[in-house]
Amino acid sequence: MTHPSELISAYLDGELVGDEQSQLMQHLGGCGKCSAELDDMQRVRSAVRSLPILELPEGLISEADPVVVPLRRNRGVWVGAAAAVVALVIAVAALVTPPPSAVSVDDLSSRFGARVSLDPAFGPAKIVVPEIAVITE
Amino acid sequence: MQESTPLTWEEVARVYGRKIYNFAYRLTGNPDDAHDLVQEVLLRVRRGLANYQPGSFEGWLWRITRNAFLDEIRKKKRRPTAPLPDEVDRWGLAKTESADEIYDRINLGDDIQKALLELPIEFREAVILCDVVGLSYEEIAQAASVPIGTVRSRIHRGRKMMRESLS
Repeated sequence: MTHPSELISAYLDGELVGDEQSQLMQHLGGCGKCSAELDDMQRVRSAVRSLPILELPEGLISEADPVVVPLRRNRGVWVGAAAAVVALVIAVAALVTPPPSAVSVDDLSSRFGARVSLDPAFGPAKIVVPEIAVITE
Repeated sequence: MQESTPLTWEEVARVYGRKIYNFAYRLTGNPDDAHDLVQEVLLRVRRGLANYQPGSFEGWLWRITRNAFLDEIRKKKRRPTAPLPDEVDRWGLAKTESADEIYDRINLGDDIQKALLELPIEFREAVILCDVVGLSYEEIAQAASVPIGTVRSRIHRGRKMMRESLS
């Protein structure tokens, strides 16, 4: 006996065409195995269809919104452009700044001294000598 | 089924977002992967709408969805695809207890999801598109780019495998 097994699910789904349905009905009338399979398939089908319908997580659509996504992408572009400009400025500054010439210690001293004398905030140079504790036994 | 409808991206997201999410969730079995998949699908829909040719919109939409899922699997190899069995034992449904007894003693939601995830991908997507999303065999055939006879076979064999998992 040929069992038209695959017609069973199609029958349950209303997808049989032509004379397939009458063919299946006729077979089911005399085949306990296929009748039992029909019951099984009906239950599996109902079970899957009974799975709860899940709601979309909040914010999922807006995260994929084409209006929002490009902005996020553009932000990255602007950050990259700004970093490139900063790097360019640093590079140009390095090129135009003359290398430091050799400076003697005396020259440094005179420069420092001049600054001290010109900058009132420094005031007169003052040397503070901490008191030395004398330990006696 | 909508035909020849040039929907906007917002309309697609609003009308189909929940369906896509439920398909993605049942296909992947976890909310994080479903979330990522929905975002990827909506991104592809946005790009694809500009070149959408009038026809079966749902067939187009679900083809995008399943392709996005298959691409994710290829990329991440999170879930190795089980090969299609050469032959399924069609008559191996030995009944040791009644179907009512089986379904009375199991926790349907979790067990059904687990049984779905045990199916080969081709069977899983066919069963989910049919029983969760509610597509016709013709629409599933368009989405999967296979003949209707293949869809019929995959759905039936998938349900039989689930019956074995649940017993």
